[in-house]
Amino acid sequence: MTPKEYRYTQEHEWICTEFRNKGRVGLADYAQSQLGDIVFLDLPAPGTQVEHGKKMGEVESVKAVSDIFAPVSGRVLEINQTVVDEPGLVNKDPYGAGWLVRLELSKPAELDALMDSEKYDKFVAQLSEEESA
Amino acid sequence: MVRLLKKTPLNEVHRELGARMMDFAGWDLPVWYTSILEEHRTVRSGAGIFDVSDMGRVWITGRKAGGFLDRLFTRPPTRLEIGSAQLCLLCLEDGGILDDLLAYRVETDRFLIVWNAANIEQKLGWLKRWAGSDPDIVIQDESADTVMLAVQGPAISRLRGLKSLSHLPRFGVAQTRIDDVEVLAARTGYTGEDGFEIIGDATNAVRLWESFMKQRVKPCGLGARDSLRLEAGMLLYGQDMDMSTNPFEAGLGWLVELNDGDFIGKSALVEIKRQGVRRKLIGFQMTGQGIARTGYMIVKAGKEVGKVTSGGYSPTLDVSIGFGYVPVELATTGTDIEIMIRSKPVAAQVVSRQFYKRGARNDPKGIQVHTGA
Repeated sequence: MTPKEYRYTQEHEWICTEFRNKGRVGLADYAQSQLGDIVFLDLPAPGTQVEHGKKMGEVESVKAVSDIFAPVSGRVLEINQTVVDEPGLVNKDPYGAGWLVRLELSKPAELDALMDSEKYDKFVAQLSEEESA
Repeated sequence: MVRLLKKTPLNEVHRELGARMMDFAGWDLPVWYTSILEEHRTVRSGAGIFDVSDMGRVWITGRKAGGFLDRLFTRPPTRLEIGSAQLCLLCLEDGGILDDLLAYRVETDRFLIVWNAANIEQKLGWLKRWAGSDPDIVIQDESADTVMLAVQGPAISRLRGLKSLSHLPRFGVAQTRIDDVEVLAARTGYTGEDGFEIIGDATNAVRLWESFMKQRVKPCGLGARDSLRLEAGMLLYGQDMDMSTNPFEAGLGWLVELNDGDFIGKSALVEIKRQGVRRKLIGFQMTGQGIARTGYMIVKAGKEVGKVTSGGYSPTLDVSIGFGYVPVELATTGTDIEIMIRSKPVAAQVVSRQFYKRGARNDPKGIQVHTGA
């Protein structure tokens, strides 16, 4: 389910790095399942500086709106125009075709503070447990 | 203390189907089973089923039942033929709306009213207050002992159990059997599609539900219920109208019969109509990007002119649509307004409130939708 090579935030963003200083960012499966059908994405324009833990965009589902936080600091290299045109891709393929932006990391050390897939799975399991309690 | 949510007779069934549940007016109801978009589109193109047991079902019977309801509702139910129903409003003395409801005449002196889940106690109290202790007016709330299903969509008249009712006109009501279960079925709904609303004993709830599930009717939740009614231009009590709004500003003047007998609120409504309203409920469509949601501010020339009372995404039109109250001078179709979406003004335009019309071509009405950031 959750790709092993990705890193995750408590706000359910993921980042998949290439050579440790660039990476794609998206929303984890748990986020899309909580939001339901995603119909609109507001993503930062290429060139925008984003900061670790700060809001970098918005995602709207039929039912709710939610902020997207930057998992790490850096500069936006490109946005996934396909997902902007077809936001439902986030629901269908959150870890693949549903990626949101590609970043150039300014502080790659921030990656170490993120969860690996094993930790993140446990984190989500705990949330789901609290939810059904 | 934890507030216990009320459960419909189908609560277990919804959970077994894996529905996401939420608190709606004190009821534990499904928001969606698989996807709001899928459920919405199924009702527009096929057949969907909703558990609407949260709606209140109250019988008014007795020799004076009809005359009693004529005095309470903005349209006289005694004008109804047996086996038919009409939309009515329940107004306070000052013309404020206490609820919108359906009044069914099942027999000469037997009326059924179906109203919203909100403020049930207050509304029942209001009825009882005006009925007094008259033995010829009997008020019986049967909500807890019955189940209510809405089966909606263009394919419903082909369904087993409903086929035999295909002669029933819109707003017609009849006693029938579905899968050997005695029910009351009415050709009504809240989706803008053809449909039936079906009331049966709570003990038969699962059996009734299953009879439609076996025919592959798609279970639909509150999410689709809301997006379908919004597209069809139907108001939701508590959001688009309440005790502080009158029928004329809500665009519900057609439900108010001022040329017939007297009813509670009539004199106030006559005066409101004579003076004219200062604000009006509009439909609007976003022309800029983003989704207008309930509670967002409506602005014109940098000044707040109203609030979005219902707003969201229209799956059929693939744009954001909504309702809101604005001063009458801004209520004309084609007027440019803006909606504050998280402190940014985004362009929108006043359009007809009926965004979706069955059988019509339904696309954004020639409005250019801006693309790009």
